[in-house]
Amino acid sequence: MVTAGTVAAPYILPTGRMFARTNTPKAEYVVMVMFAGGVRQQESVLQRYLDDSQDVTGAAGNIMPNLFTGTAPDRKIVYGTDPGGGATRGSEPIPRILSQSMEDTGTVFKEMSAISAGHYVGLNTLITGSLGTAQGLKTRPKYPTIFEYLRKHAGFAALDTWFIANGLGNSTPLLNSSKNPDYGLQYGGNMFAAPYTFGSVGREILGNGKPYSRADLDPMYYMKNFLDQSFGLSPDQLETIKNTDEEKTKIKEFIRAVFQRQDQGLIPRPPVSDNGDAVTISYAAEVLRHFKPKFLTLNMSAVDGCHSNFTGYLRSLHRADHSVGWLWNYIQNNIPEMSGKTIMIVAPECGRNLNPNPILDENDWYAYDHSDANAMRVWSVMVGKNVPKMSVGSEGNRVGKLTDIVPTIADIFGVYDEVKASPYLDPQSKSLFLRM
Amino acid sequence: MNMHNSGNKISLLLLSVAVLSSCTKEKNVTFGVNDKIVYEDKSLKTKRKSDAEYISILYTNLYQVPISPTQLYKTQNVIYSIGDRNVANEMVLSNYFNTSTLKIPKDSEMRADVAAFVEKCYKRFFLRYPSEGEKTFFINYIKSNPNVTVEMVYTAFSVSDEYQYY
Repeated sequence: MVTAGTVAAPYILPTGRMFARTNTPKAEYVVMVMFAGGVRQQESVLQRYLDDSQDVTGAAGNIMPNLFTGTAPDRKIVYGTDPGGGATRGSEPIPRILSQSMEDTGTVFKEMSAISAGHYVGLNTLITGSLGTAQGLKTRPKYPTIFEYLRKHAGFAALDTWFIANGLGNSTPLLNSSKNPDYGLQYGGNMFAAPYTFGSVGREILGNGKPYSRADLDPMYYMKNFLDQSFGLSPDQLETIKNTDEEKTKIKEFIRAVFQRQDQGLIPRPPVSDNGDAVTISYAAEVLRHFKPKFLTLNMSAVDGCHSNFTGYLRSLHRADHSVGWLWNYIQNNIPEMSGKTIMIVAPECGRNLNPNPILDENDWYAYDHSDANAMRVWSVMVGKNVPKMSVGSEGNRVGKLTDIVPTIADIFGVYDEVKASPYLDPQSKSLFLRM
Repeated sequence: MNMHNSGNKISLLLLSVAVLSSCTKEKNVTFGVNDKIVYEDKSLKTKRKSDAEYISILYTNLYQVPISPTQLYKTQNVIYSIGDRNVANEMVLSNYFNTSTLKIPKDSEMRADVAAFVEKCYKRFFLRYPSEGEKTFFINYIKSNPNVTVEMVYTAFSVSDEYQYY
């Protein structure tokens, strides 16, 4: 199914440059969930639970009911919550939040190709659409990010694009912008490593600030801007993304508001929020509710515990599905500006190995790392406005790859040709709408 | 016996000559270099301070005591956790200004001699003297805006681009 039409809808970018979108936008908002940490096909989209990992026969089933359609396992349930009373730990599955699974209402790419079996390169792939397998940790992405593409080609403001990182580790806070000379920090997205910014340390360092009024801030910014003009930093010397003074004020107000809402117990959370991913998702919901950004992406990582604890991995997988379902539901029911106008894209950054490592967990189940060909198998789910109900590809029949996500987002926002013309994008990538 | 005595006399003579010739008083030479206080040149500030350097210098500047390693570590991480570093720095600073142990001049001191205050600000934050244009701007701005406080001026300097470079 090819849906990319061609229209000329001119508008003026903030830079003053006249610009014409090359295709019709499909939705007004996009939320991309980097379902990261390394997810095996076998326990996720293939719904084989313990059958294809621990040699337990008759224990297949779907443990991700918000994303995928399928019956839950009926044996050896350990991935849920603890019912107490001496019952098996984790034996109570979390009830599905969505009335229908995303598979039932959207498009599932059953098997796609990852570009790398590593986390940071995988996240970079999702966020840049590039084949940057040489990407190193502790450095910003080598190639332009989707934030930069959208800000430069679609004219989005800094507050229109957000990245909610799951913490400070693995260089994830650097993913909000590259330092590419053609794009770079002047087009970067806003970012919170939310569990840290809004955690106890963030509160200690930021929570006692003076709430300056506009009358206080204007002279400060006026004098600062004079000093900055006098110093004359060039764009290539930028070490941080740029918001306008007004945008900065709004971000500071938001941070203070979150601390207040914490005190009042008003931060929305998934019903089961006993891990870091749920916390990250909560603050992503806060940013969505407050700023209604056109594009927001967040990353999760709890499933990475699979290196040493398979049971924990199953629990994290089940909770990640729960949190994503909750977020989609929250957008539809609590953010009227975004309800019915949003597309959500969900994809892991890499898979996991076919064969386990020797580490056993509490249930004597083997753990899995991510380094072999099986770790290059991933899936993707799209749901929302203008997304057809469809299943694409199948096990052994890969359609699409993770470098397709960036052009897909560009396609949704009507700047597909501009972004596809970037020399930094995987030349073989294309919008997933064109692969349907 | 005589030969032995004459040998002693010769040794004593040589020793005396050696001692006298080695004890010449040295000349005290002073080279003609005038005292000069060296300040930075903004055009030479090309290296960005790391977050740790920036926070340490800022904290010491404002509190006149060094920041503790724990506090430094926490602050550094919080700044890293926010995409716009300027937003983070401004919020950290506004927390500092909400404490009572800050060592900054009173507003009345600033108003008593604005020119001297401006010069001190440039030396305190930028380690240099202001240019005539910079001095004129600040003197005029502070004098014509009675609501401008030391806190506002210090905030502007603390979060300025130049203060983040050396």
